[in-house]
Amino acid sequence: MDIVQVVISGILLGGVYALFAAGLNLIFGVMKIINLGHGELMMLGAYMTFFLFTSWNINPLLSIPITAVAMAALGWLLQFALVERVVNQPMINSLLLTFGMSTLMMGVALNLWTSNFRSVVYSPLTGSWNVFGIAFSKSRLVAFIIAMIVTGAMWTFLKQSTFGKSIRATSQHPQVAQLCGIDVRQVRFMTFALGSAMAAVAGALISIIFTISPQMGHMFIGKGFAIIVLGGLGSFIGAFLGAIVLGVSETLTAYFTDTQIAQGVAYLILLLVLVIRPSGFFGKAED
Amino acid sequence: MSTSTSPAPDQMHQDELDATAYRLPGWEKYLGWAYLAAFIVAAIVLLWLPMNAKAYTVTLTLTVLLVLTLSTSWNWLSGFAGYTSFATAGFFGIGSYIGALLLYYEKVTWIPAVFLAGAGCFVIALLVGIPTLRLRGPYFAIAMLAFSELSRVIVLSWDSLTLGGNGVYLPILRLQRPGENETFWEEIQRTFHNNQNYYAMLALAAVACIWSYVVGTSRWGLKLLSIRDDEVAAESMGIRTTYVKATTFAGSAIFPGMAGAIYARHVGYIDPVTVFAIIWTIRAITTTIFGGRGTILGPIVGAVVLTLVSEKVWEQDPNLYQVIYGAIIILVVLFMPGGLTSLLQRYNILPRSRRI
Repeated sequence: MDIVQVVISGILLGGVYALFAAGLNLIFGVMKIINLGHGELMMLGAYMTFFLFTSWNINPLLSIPITAVAMAALGWLLQFALVERVVNQPMINSLLLTFGMSTLMMGVALNLWTSNFRSVVYSPLTGSWNVFGIAFSKSRLVAFIIAMIVTGAMWTFLKQSTFGKSIRATSQHPQVAQLCGIDVRQVRFMTFALGSAMAAVAGALISIIFTISPQMGHMFIGKGFAIIVLGGLGSFIGAFLGAIVLGVSETLTAYFTDTQIAQGVAYLILLLVLVIRPSGFFGKAED
Repeated sequence: MSTSTSPAPDQMHQDELDATAYRLPGWEKYLGWAYLAAFIVAAIVLLWLPMNAKAYTVTLTLTVLLVLTLSTSWNWLSGFAGYTSFATAGFFGIGSYIGALLLYYEKVTWIPAVFLAGAGCFVIALLVGIPTLRLRGPYFAIAMLAFSELSRVIVLSWDSLTLGGNGVYLPILRLQRPGENETFWEEIQRTFHNNQNYYAMLALAAVACIWSYVVGTSRWGLKLLSIRDDEVAAESMGIRTTYVKATTFAGSAIFPGMAGAIYARHVGYIDPVTVFAIIWTIRAITTTIFGGRGTILGPIVGAVVLTLVSEKVWEQDPNLYQVIYGAIIILVVLFMPGGLTSLLQRYNILPRSRRI
């Protein structure tokens, strides 16, 4: 029964990872840019939730829309000021630029909030519910449900809405999309804003499950890459499956060994997939 | 002429015109001799430095030499060939641990330990480099990010061998005090003994500079540049790109490895958090692109300038350091992609030559 519990716990965690990786994937799909600052956007979302909760006593679940909108605005600004300038340049420039963004955001966070660990202690979400003898951690279950709602909404938006279609068209072929009358530049701005908001919501959910620190982004970016490489770069469904696989392998490793070794699981998966099958296991191959 | 980044389409035409109109200044052919002279002068000054300077100055110079070694070796693959590597911290950490553990378990003396650290990093880099460098695009960069973190987790978790999070204490270097009526020869010997880590780092940095000149001016360097500019074309011209990239990567891993081993001995105590810290990668990248990536002089100039400047900042606020480095990376990539050297080349202060 313990194993079932551990697997379920991993699936619940995987849902939050999926939301984080979906934003990373979306940005890569549209701009072919690996956003190394994605983890820091998540960290900022987590800190925003924390401060809204501790300073103004706003319920961490209700503050999610506020955090999402604020971080979408920041994402739009980052795209406007920085990322847009390297869109069609060689990959090394966008890698270095987003690496610089990551370094800068982490540095600012370290300056403002020190490297201490903090946590959002929201009493209604501590403890667990028992269903058929299996304990569901309340915070993980709620985080999973919210992550699934947001990811599902995002997926529907991409599939059904006109703007979602123009995002998908741009990621398939930017030039042709432009010829078809899509404002590719506006699509890029919206994509980075949406991706940032998704990272921030994932950060808000992580803040009610785990402790947070300015370095958390650096840890999560590795998980994000492991997920999208497992699923195939640019594949939405693949990333979702990859996230569940990562969540479950992490909790299983932590159960059988210890949490320290579990931290390495994402990096190991990432390296192994790149060596064995770089096009990913679930998604379609992308050169 | 190739500049460090591919320019926007409208600039490209102008740059081609410039390239045809550009003539190298006559003194360019003496540049090699000028480097040799500068190298000898710098070597004499730096060899003599510990005789008269305070311990603080020696340590600061050691830091400059360390950063110079890291940035110069990062430049070979990531500057010349355009493959961003985030593995510097990984190899620095692995090297420090190989060196420190060999000393801790008293397997060898310190000089073989430093060489073994370099050799270990070379082998590991070949093993991770060959499969990941077959892939084009962002995969290598992502893989190296994972590699650095994975090696940290392994060192942290394998505590029966590495002592885990407790870190490793190294035997303290016993300093010799000046004797009475010390002869000049005895003073030299004592200085050399008391500053052996400094001299080791100096030798390593010197080799890195020489190697950088060799890479920059050789056919090998041309192969790297052609991989950066158009890898498919390079391959179709008969360059074995994976072989070139993987050997360059493995060769460049030796330097952070050996530097890590010397650093471990210099500070006397290492733990996984400090030697695998991302800040080593940040420093290597920032100094190189600030000085000018894909050039011989760039990482050297960047290391000297930025380390001395940041020493002033570091004294005031260690956290501010990271903010400034992040800002430098962003500003350089956006507004000065070729770094200092290309700025000087644009105003014809430096010749647009491969020897820069």
